[in-house]
Amino acid sequence: MPAPAATVAPPEVLHLSLILGGALRDADGTRLGRVDDLIVRLGGAGYPPITGFLVTIAGRTGRRSYVPAERVAAIAPGAVTLTKAKLDLRPFQRRGDEVLLRHDVLDHQLINVEGARLVRANEIELARLDGWWRVVGVDTGARGGLRRLLPKRLAGRIATGDFVDWASLEPFSGDVPSVRMRVLHPKLARMHPADIADLVEAASRDEGEEILQALGDDGELEADVFEELDARHQLEQLEGRSDAEVAELLARMAPDDAADLCAELPAERREAVIDLLAEAPRRKVRALLGFDPAEAGGLMSPDFVSVYRQATVADALERVRRSRLPDEMLATVWVMDQHHRFLGSVALAALVRADPEASVIELEVDDAPHLSPRADFEEIARLMADYNLTAAAVCDAEERMIGVVTVDDVLEVLLPKGWRRRFGLLGED
Amino acid sequence: MRLQVRGRFRPRRSRIFVFLGLLGPGLIAANAGNDAGGIATYSEVGAKYGYTLLWAMLLITVSLALVQRSAGRMGAVTGKGLSELIRERYGIRWSAFATLCVLVANFGICISDFVGVGAALGLAGIPAQVSVPIAGLGIWLVIVRGSYRSAERVFIWLTIPFFAYPIAAILAHPDWGKVGHSLVVPTVHTSPAFLLLFIAMAGTTITPYMQLYLQSAVVERGATVADLKSESNEAVGGSIFADIVAAFIIIATGATLYVHGTHSIGSAADAAKALEPFAGRYAELLFGIGLLGASLLAAAILPIATSYAVAESLGFEKGIGRRRDEAPVFIGLITVMIVVSGLVAMVPGVPVISLLVGVQVVNGLLLPINLFFVWRLARNEELMGEHRNKGAVDWVTAATVAITSTLSLILVAVTVLGL
Repeated sequence: MPAPAATVAPPEVLHLSLILGGALRDADGTRLGRVDDLIVRLGGAGYPPITGFLVTIAGRTGRRSYVPAERVAAIAPGAVTLTKAKLDLRPFQRRGDEVLLRHDVLDHQLINVEGARLVRANEIELARLDGWWRVVGVDTGARGGLRRLLPKRLAGRIATGDFVDWASLEPFSGDVPSVRMRVLHPKLARMHPADIADLVEAASRDEGEEILQALGDDGELEADVFEELDARHQLEQLEGRSDAEVAELLARMAPDDAADLCAELPAERREAVIDLLAEAPRRKVRALLGFDPAEAGGLMSPDFVSVYRQATVADALERVRRSRLPDEMLATVWVMDQHHRFLGSVALAALVRADPEASVIELEVDDAPHLSPRADFEEIARLMADYNLTAAAVCDAEERMIGVVTVDDVLEVLLPKGWRRRFGLLGED
Repeated sequence: MRLQVRGRFRPRRSRIFVFLGLLGPGLIAANAGNDAGGIATYSEVGAKYGYTLLWAMLLITVSLALVQRSAGRMGAVTGKGLSELIRERYGIRWSAFATLCVLVANFGICISDFVGVGAALGLAGIPAQVSVPIAGLGIWLVIVRGSYRSAERVFIWLTIPFFAYPIAAILAHPDWGKVGHSLVVPTVHTSPAFLLLFIAMAGTTITPYMQLYLQSAVVERGATVADLKSESNEAVGGSIFADIVAAFIIIATGATLYVHGTHSIGSAADAAKALEPFAGRYAELLFGIGLLGASLLAAAILPIATSYAVAESLGFEKGIGRRRDEAPVFIGLITVMIVVSGLVAMVPGVPVISLLVGVQVVNGLLLPINLFFVWRLARNEELMGEHRNKGAVDWVTAATVAITSTLSLILVAVTVLGL
């Protein structure tokens, strides 16, 4: 939906807490009952419109009735007025894309897509846009909370806090397992996988599941998010999935992260899942599982792009172009002889700058260092620092290259404790 | 050097979870009831009334087990903490009210635990004005710097001397016939002092923060519906175990102090005398070490648990790993609790035991509010589905709420009307 033009007078604004508990009146102004909740429809583009009201009719306490938005003439602080004098009640049937503002959104957690964090809705702001009331924002600050804590008369004196625009918020579908529905979260796909992983770690299990489900159609993104999750949350989210689903996810993940996750799986499940993998990833995962996690062999990724020494620059660039590895794994092209023995490396930038007809061996860094699979962190870090490397080759006893350790693998371990956000009372150190 | 690595074949849960797996949050939470305030209250009960209140301990254990079980199950089913559920189901006003009660109760316990630190080191002749600031600073650094896990382990080891109570109780040769009789036949006194002590006993055994802690811990463990049975068993087992220790404190003091005519405990040194049949002249040392460990553990856990509850219910940024500018309210509240509690505990001539028992009375008064929410939430079908509390479990939980509320109201009436 287009934002209202600047020349138009600012729209009327209301706060949810001023409507809830207010009177339901008919067209003549007679009080019929109380407003309990507002229903909005998500899913469409733009700000979600109010589609109906849950009300308690005077004298019928304990039973909630539904009033569709079409029957409502006006919404004002403390009163919702019907179009007719006659009350026409219907049973409420919740549709898949509808949420109850008080029951599901107010006081609950929402995803703030811009800040990539979870916020709690202290107050909900409604505005009259395009002729009808819509949810436009949520107050997540202390002021919104204070306004609702105090009696209404005092609350009016406190200025409203900062509202987060609804355009950058995604609500969860609510904590009612029996009516759990598939709410799409289109805004999530804009976020970085690492940020989504942080959200999953911060959210409750069901909310985390919902976030991952929302990514369901985008298997690659989901795999990227899983690579960033910590082990506990990975396992938590895999518990409900079949072995085949887990294998499918593993196949999409980077082999080293997939191997890490395999190692975390309960022993009785591990073999079943690995057996379901396709030939190539299965071999890689099995090979990686044999190495010590604290050493180069356990940290490395077995995926890299390599060329024989006879190759030309054009050949090497073509290999990079055809490769399906992620960008960061392609910054370096590795060179070996015809017996697959490691010779050295060429930076991608050097290839791009060089004459396409030239031979890679002319560009190759001589006696480039390499690591044994048994090298520990200190050794890896020192080698990378000394030679200004972002990636280092790992070679076996016959000097055949078996993998690459990239700088991010090492950074993750060497970062001081506490730099990573930790959540929860008993969170790991 | 052992680096912590993202890696293959490290233990399935990190070391702290292995450790907690042995003890379990159910056990830790319930045992936290046996902190400085708990020990003072149970000792006072034993000294004043001998074994005659043991029947109450039995009833309280049933309530505690069911309440803890409910909290553990809610954590496993919903994956959310107790404060969070209250906020989401009952709105910000109820949530703020419940949080305020927790804040008041926990502040009291925090003070009592710093008093416990002072009293424990006081046995070694170190004045509270020296020991409490050092302990407070240490705890603050440990929490804010985040190496709290290893400290927790040390604290827990320090509480092991309290397992001397069962041995001391047996060595004191209590009249087992009387003990058994008191366990099943209720004796009721009609004095306000009795009522006060009864409420303190309920308050220290079923402390609100135990449910908050347990539920958050179960969530943090990543327990699911599949773990429901083990979580339930652990919560119940932990409660029974903790209360057996508590009962032995009453028996040990009843068999020594009460029998020898000491009907009131004025200081930690008095309370330590209950351990004499076991430890002889080392009774004070043993008691001091145990009291120090129990107090330090609780004094470290309480500010964290409280800050979590406040942050969860009011929607502030939270997390021990956060820096001050990331979570100012969270870290600020922890700091304020430690500083204020420490300052109160340093007041010279503070009447240790009566302060400790008094705090438990306040806890007992506020207990029904927290229990009410546990009861309502655990039986909520929308939230808990087929795992909700039903039948006898629900009834006993409701009865616990009703009885604790009645007791609290009576106490308020007695105090206000001066009966």
